[in-house]
Amino acid sequence: MSNQLEEVMKKQQQQQRAPQEGEIEKVVQLVGFMVGDEEFAVPILSIQEIIKPIEYTRTPKTPPYVLGVFNLRGSVLPLIDLRMKFGLSRSKENEDTRYMVIRHNEEVAGFVIDRLTQATRIKESAIDPAPETLGDEQNMIYGVGKQEEKLISILNVEALLRRDF
Amino acid sequence: MDEFQEILEDFLVEAFEMIEQLDNDLIELENSPEDLDLLNRIFRVAHTIKGSSSFLNFDVLTHLTHHMEDVLNKARRGELSITPDVMDVVLESTDKMKGLLEHIKETGSDEGAVDVAPTVRRLEAILNGGETQEPPAAEPEPEPEPVEEEKDLSEMSEEEVEAEIERLLAQRQEEDRKRREAKRAAEAAGEKPEESEEKDLSEMSEEEVEAEIERLLAQRQEEDRKRREAKRAAQKEAQKSAPEAKEAPQSSAKPAAPAKKETKAAPKERKTTVEQTIRVDVKRLDDLMNLIGELVLGKNRLLKIYDDVEERYEGEQFLEELNQVVSSVSLVTTDLQIAVMKTRMLPIGKVFNKFPRMVRDLSRELHKEIDLVISGEETELDKSIVEEIGDPLVHIIRNSCDHGIELPQERIEKGKPAKGTVQLKAYNEGNHIIIEIVDDGKGLDADMLKMKAVEKGLISEKEADQMSEKEAFMLIFKPGFSTAAQVTNVSGRGVGMDVVRSNIEKLNGIIEIDSEVGKGTTLKLKIPLTLAIIQSLLVSVQEEFYAIPLASVLETVRITPDEIQSVEGRSVLRLRDEVLSLVHLADLFDVERVFSMGEHAYVVIIGIAETKIGLIVDSLVGQEEVVIKSLGEYLKGIEGIAGATIRGDGRVTLIVDVGALMDMAKNVKSSMQNLEDTQTAAEKSSPADYNILVVDDSKTDRAIMRKALEPLGVTITEATNGVEALNLMKEGSKTFDAALVDIEMPRMDGYTLAAEIRKFNKFKMVPLIAVTSRTSRSDRMRGVEVGMTEYITKPYTPEYLMNVVARNINLNVEQTV
Repeated sequence: MSNQLEEVMKKQQQQQRAPQEGEIEKVVQLVGFMVGDEEFAVPILSIQEIIKPIEYTRTPKTPPYVLGVFNLRGSVLPLIDLRMKFGLSRSKENEDTRYMVIRHNEEVAGFVIDRLTQATRIKESAIDPAPETLGDEQNMIYGVGKQEEKLISILNVEALLRRDF
Repeated sequence: MDEFQEILEDFLVEAFEMIEQLDNDLIELENSPEDLDLLNRIFRVAHTIKGSSSFLNFDVLTHLTHHMEDVLNKARRGELSITPDVMDVVLESTDKMKGLLEHIKETGSDEGAVDVAPTVRRLEAILNGGETQEPPAAEPEPEPEPVEEEKDLSEMSEEEVEAEIERLLAQRQEEDRKRREAKRAAEAAGEKPEESEEKDLSEMSEEEVEAEIERLLAQRQEEDRKRREAKRAAQKEAQKSAPEAKEAPQSSAKPAAPAKKETKAAPKERKTTVEQTIRVDVKRLDDLMNLIGELVLGKNRLLKIYDDVEERYEGEQFLEELNQVVSSVSLVTTDLQIAVMKTRMLPIGKVFNKFPRMVRDLSRELHKEIDLVISGEETELDKSIVEEIGDPLVHIIRNSCDHGIELPQERIEKGKPAKGTVQLKAYNEGNHIIIEIVDDGKGLDADMLKMKAVEKGLISEKEADQMSEKEAFMLIFKPGFSTAAQVTNVSGRGVGMDVVRSNIEKLNGIIEIDSEVGKGTTLKLKIPLTLAIIQSLLVSVQEEFYAIPLASVLETVRITPDEIQSVEGRSVLRLRDEVLSLVHLADLFDVERVFSMGEHAYVVIIGIAETKIGLIVDSLVGQEEVVIKSLGEYLKGIEGIAGATIRGDGRVTLIVDVGALMDMAKNVKSSMQNLEDTQTAAEKSSPADYNILVVDDSKTDRAIMRKALEPLGVTITEATNGVEALNLMKEGSKTFDAALVDIEMPRMDGYTLAAEIRKFNKFKMVPLIAVTSRTSRSDRMRGVEVGMTEYITKPYTPEYLMNVVARNINLNVEQTV
């Protein structure tokens, strides 16, 4: 009996999957932001929210780019300075500074970015894998998105949230 | 497949619950082997597990439980007396059953895990040994189903038993009705207990029906046997109606007696089992607990805001209303918190249940007679603690049995009853639960303990002399300390009481020990009800706050810097004949030293097990109940940090991990030397290189000051209040050479600002010039106290202001004018 059930389930799943495969082209929605002089982006679905800077508490015994932890409506989240993570000097807070709260599976963390730019839609075919010459050991760049005039580095959210210390 | 899995899970949950009860019942049975209720209950467990496991195709388990069932059934019918030897085998098979179930839980199969063959053989031996007294039961039964030759009911197939039960029930109901009718005819007898009890089978609870069925089955079996004997005598006159007819008058006479017994048993049973419960995934409760935690934080915040508002709008009408809302919210939140905490609570009986069996085995092994008296098993504790408390308790009770209680001979010589008693008590005390383990054994000899400890080099002789009796008792928790004269199978195997102690301390619990030689020993464990909320001591180091679990704080002392001595590059403190090694929390956590050390520092003495150290902090903030929050996967396991909490102001405060802190302290060299301001001021080549900060909430006033300073040509930065000014200075993008400060400002006034600025080492020398219309002497005095350099009263001439500023920043006025 359970076999029958399984078959039915399989059929259902196939039906659900079918129309997606039939789609002409997949489009990724990205949120762009500046860190230093460079523009980066992450998929919009991985962003839980974007907030203005709030007070945080320093955590000892962590790398300098982990600024500390902050309270987001009762959850204690780590705060990571992307400038420092990318080897730049520590960011100075100004009115454009934002904390971007990114979620991947169960992992959530806040990232300090210098400025938001825009939300864009980009075809998946317009995303090239990161050039190997980049020397990106931590696999932090998911790919490079080509837009009319410029290139955007799309970050690998999973790698961003991976603890590397 | 899923369906099967679901059934399997249900089966496992049920089976484990039953087995837990089974152990206790078996022990009880050994004491009162005649208790039929008990036997029935035990039989039922074996029977149920057998039924379910055969359904689920666990052949090994079925095989084992089948034999168990046979033995128990025999005992139930009184054909086998429960001797300790029989009990040993039954208990052994229970253990095997547990083993099999564990294996099933892990692998989903019962094969290859436990070898049940020897146990089954022993069970069979008992079975056969008993059977010799019984007449051979190979003759055909006068049953409606002639398919099988039947020995007894236990060998009937499920369906047959079912059918038999049906038949008996029907018969019983029939009898009931007859009896009732007879009674009614005779007299309306409402006051008789049987009447209400036996009114209707359909109104009985399941357990009662079950019990009734058991009783009827037993009765039926009894009758069967009699019938068989009668039959043998009458030479096989198989008449179906005859026994039926014989049965009727018999049973109508008989049930009256057991029925009375049942009325007594029934209400007791109802109390324990008819509770309405639902199973909830623990994760859901954890989520709920987290949400409540947030609510508690919100409440704390609300209280704080209320305090602020109260100060500012004293005597206003709305305050009273606000007060009411705030207090009712806080009351409800607290109740809610308690309610949810309670859903996570389990009775400690869950843990206590396994001890009767353990003590029984131990006493047989050690040839002692020990009675375990349990009380307060209904006391409730958080689930996570219940899970952790088991092992330490096992250790302690083993210890009491092995070292505490003497051999019967010895006890009699001492004039004590041969049977020793170990009491296990649990009760609530405030926010803690107390578990007491009391034995009436030989007690602890403080002098002997000291001697042993000195012998083993655990303490020095001098230490031993100064030790109080209680401290001496605590020696048994030292690693490497065992009082057992000889190593027995039970204790003295290296895992000792030190493990117990660290386990209890992990739960933020405390152990106390009390003993009298010859009288016995009392061990008292004090454990918090929940791990999610702890009492903590808040301390501050420079600008940072940390929470230290109060359970690990032994004491706090205030010291002056010169009390700190240095031995081999380490800071130590002499405290009441004791030398305590000190470590600065700022060194452990690399806190930036922005403030210079004040006149006083505080030492928080923290201890786990035997080690203790002094933690230097800048100040003690206070004691607070905090909700522990995890730091999440990303920051999990940072050295020295156990978690975080959110304080009333919404800020995150880290909770230190005392154990890790003590390890870290070993590797930290003190750097107590005061940081000198190493900043060398940049060369000033023109007046524009001088930065002056003007702090005033009035735009006009700022403009006047700016105008007055214009001739100097210095650079001016403006701030509208104290907070803004302080942030500007702290941020450090500009180094200010002087600040003009108004006194009355919103958010932070001039006095507070000055005091805050002076806390920083690098701002010690910055001239602060108060510019204010407050002219009284006391205002001036206060200005000096908080660290103002000059005091200018409004109104002033622009030249005067200019000169004062120029003088303070050493700028030659003539040069520029």
